[in-house]
Amino acid sequence: MKARANPEWLAALKAEGALQTAALSDLRVYLLRASRYALSRSRNAPRLATTDLDQLAEDCAQDALSSVLEHLEEFRGESRFTTWAYAFAINAALAAARRERWGRVSFDRLLEQPDLVARLGGASVAPATPQRRALQGEMLSALRDAIETQLTPRQRHALTAIVFEGVPLDELARHWRSNRNALYKLLHDARRKLKTHLRTRGFDPQEMLDAFSEDA
Amino acid sequence: MELSALRRLLQNIADTDDQELSCTECLERVPQYVDLEVAGQDDDRTMFPLQRHLRQCSVCREEYEALRDLVLDTDRRPPDSD
Repeated sequence: MKARANPEWLAALKAEGALQTAALSDLRVYLLRASRYALSRSRNAPRLATTDLDQLAEDCAQDALSSVLEHLEEFRGESRFTTWAYAFAINAALAAARRERWGRVSFDRLLEQPDLVARLGGASVAPATPQRRALQGEMLSALRDAIETQLTPRQRHALTAIVFEGVPLDELARHWRSNRNALYKLLHDARRKLKTHLRTRGFDPQEMLDAFSEDA
Repeated sequence: MELSALRRLLQNIADTDDQELSCTECLERVPQYVDLEVAGQDDDRTMFPLQRHLRQCSVCREEYEALRDLVLDTDRRPPDSD
């Protein structure tokens, strides 16, 4: 394959004829490598058979090729072109792997599980002195209060699903017919409210984390 | 109770800033960040917001780590040597 600097990639992909054909062919090789790589290391993809993985990698690489060409004018040259292009294939492949893993999970049933507040039981790190156990109890009480008084039901469900059940943010967004950015904003707002409320109660989240650390 | 989940929650709360990048803003910056990191030039303070988002968002982090490791691997072994 021909090694190309960024301007050469852009010029070739925008050209016509043999020059463009060669660049597209090389770009496909890069993108297929990226999608295969992403799927091979995804913890969400191991349940797929090898032939299914190969086909999924091909499909993701093709989707990525379309996306790269569609967004070509947005490439600002702040990275190598190949790094920028790889990202499309990796994102497509990992998103597909997450859908494969979570697509058949019943989110309704999952969200019926005990939520955040119920799960903030009598946690403590052993060994714990009576004083440390008492401090941890106060901290958990403050956190439960913050969750119950500051968060919306949707924020509680989102935190339960993502933090406690390990649901990927984009999969929860898909289930809620929302999008990744909106869900991230929902969670960010929740975290800000919790942080502010805990501080007004006299608790610093970092100190709380230290209190529940095993080597504190 | 899941202690590790509690710690994750507390870490996320502790690391919260008033302004944070969205996933789209993060992913726009990731290719540049990866190339800087691979070149050993990733201590730019302008990347702090990106690093915070990656600590908060496991989906973006998974995509970033895969891209970083692929670029490192590709630099050692060009694609047509597969």
